[in-house]
Amino acid sequence: MTSDTAPPIDTALIDIVKVTKTYPPDIMALDEVSLAVGHGEMIFLTGVSGAGKTTLLKLLCFLESPTMGLIEMDKKDISKLSGHALQKMRQHIGVAYQDFRLLSKQTVYQNIALAMEVRYENPKKIKQRVLELLANLGLADKIHTPTSKLSRGEQQRVSIARACANKPPLILADEPTGNLDPAATSLVMDLFNRLHEEGTTIIIATHDQAIWQKSSHRIVNLENGKLQEIIKVNFDL
Amino acid sequence: MRYISFILGQLARNSRHGWASQVMTLFTVSLSVLIFSFFFLIYTNMQKASSRLGNELRLIVYLEQEVPAAFRQEFKKKITDFDRVEKIAFISKEEAFARLTRQLGQESDVLEDLDPSFLPYSVEIFPSNNLKSLARIKDFSDYLGSLPGAVKVQYGQEWIERFGYFISLLRIIVLLSGALLILTSVFMVSYTIRLTLESRQEELEILRFLGATDRYIRGPVMVEGFLLGLFGAFSGLLSLFFLFQWIKNHFSGPVFMNLFELSFLPLANIGTIFLISLLLCSSGSLISIRKYLKV
Ligand SMILES: Nc1ncnc2c1ncn2[C@@H]1O[C@H](COP(=O)(O)OP(=O)(O)O)[C@@H](O)[C@H]1O
Ligand SMILES: [Mg+2]
Repeated sequence: MTSDTAPPIDTALIDIVKVTKTYPPDIMALDEVSLAVGHGEMIFLTGVSGAGKTTLLKLLCFLESPTMGLIEMDKKDISKLSGHALQKMRQHIGVAYQDFRLLSKQTVYQNIALAMEVRYENPKKIKQRVLELLANLGLADKIHTPTSKLSRGEQQRVSIARACANKPPLILADEPTGNLDPAATSLVMDLFNRLHEEGTTIIIATHDQAIWQKSSHRIVNLENGKLQEIIKVNFDL
Repeated sequence: MRYISFILGQLARNSRHGWASQVMTLFTVSLSVLIFSFFFLIYTNMQKASSRLGNELRLIVYLEQEVPAAFRQEFKKKITDFDRVEKIAFISKEEAFARLTRQLGQESDVLEDLDPSFLPYSVEIFPSNNLKSLARIKDFSDYLGSLPGAVKVQYGQEWIERFGYFISLLRIIVLLSGALLILTSVFMVSYTIRLTLESRQEELEILRFLGATDRYIRGPVMVEGFLLGLFGAFSGLLSLFFLFQWIKNHFSGPVFMNLFELSFLPLANIGTIFLISLLLCSSGSLISIRKYLKV
């Protein structure tokens, strides 16, 4: 197996050009980062804690805006998006946040269904999809549990399920296996791989070597806010 | 259809948190609907009573001398310059005498030797039969008194004047209670909805992340305001109806009832009150949601 090569710019789904992000007072989280992500690509974004992984994902899901530089999605400058167009765009990006962002009083089912409800999906379809995801992620018995009553590992999987619910064209997962044991990790990675095979573009930020070492996908590494491509050496020759 | 079921589902979820403040708001809206419609009911009944009263009401202007036939048209015009009137009748001494005879009936023999000329000439004016004319009857009478040749103006009793004042007062009260209705419903509804929204802050934020459109967020909130208006108007008018029945049963003395034959608000007014309440409560919710949609 060889690693995927960077796609030519004109087929890129996401094009990040010289993006710098500084937080007040003068914390430079990203330093002139450039990255092109092709349609249907799966990318691992690695780096130690504090390297800027979360920041980069936040820029891609409109939670933060770059201090300098340009981000294009489908050839459109995302800083120009607002109002309805922005809302629609968000419906097409599934995000599994590092801090989960679940509704603590609502059940597992309600939390996942919400992502589909905002798109006015058919209730039957919603139910079917949520049940399928819960089965995939080993949460079927927690369906009616309020998320505040779940362990962190379970909450993490709920947030992943919610990100995948709509089968969005782009999924951003921030440390998706950070709280998971190996068994749960492989459930999650199986789900991502299946979606990737169906054509979903997936960006996974992680410092967990175990999940990218064996994969054939592209890996980019952040270090002190600077990005560099890793050409992976295959050990299992 | 699917949109509606989403809205109802969300509504049920939301109202689980803030039902106490919603009940309070419902109560306030009903109360202000009740207060407004109560005064409005009195007003419409007064209006009816006054038109009944107006039929019997006339002003009599006693004159120094008879108005010659040639000048009557001009005299009439002077009267109608002030206000529209139903009818103007010139009463000759003979006719006044004939009336007096009729009024005295069996005792009319006291008039037997008298000459009709001891009675003054007069003009009878029947003011037009609406509240406005009634309210300014005093001014009208003053005006008539100032006409050339007028000696004295007489009309009904003093209480008619008071009635006119009362009706003007009532009109002010109706206006004030209408303003109260507007203020309370808009403010209370927007306040409650703000509370609901604040308790849902976390949820709204997550909805935003998930790409919920303005329409998705606005829907249930608008419906909440609409329902508050609907049920508020309903329970307010229902209480008014019971209050009305109670008053009717307790004050059905014969004298009182003859003048004020009470009737409930006509359907058109009920519909208008419903509509106003709905409109006000919906705009109340719109006011509070607007702040959240900007984020
Ligand atoms: N909201 C913020 N305000 C200030 N500094 C921040 C904020 N978010 C992140 N940072 C800083 O930016 C740097 C990158 O953080 P982050 O993107 O969360 O890294 P990672 O996800 O790789 O651990 C860190 O030094 C962090 O302390
Ligand atoms: Mg992080």
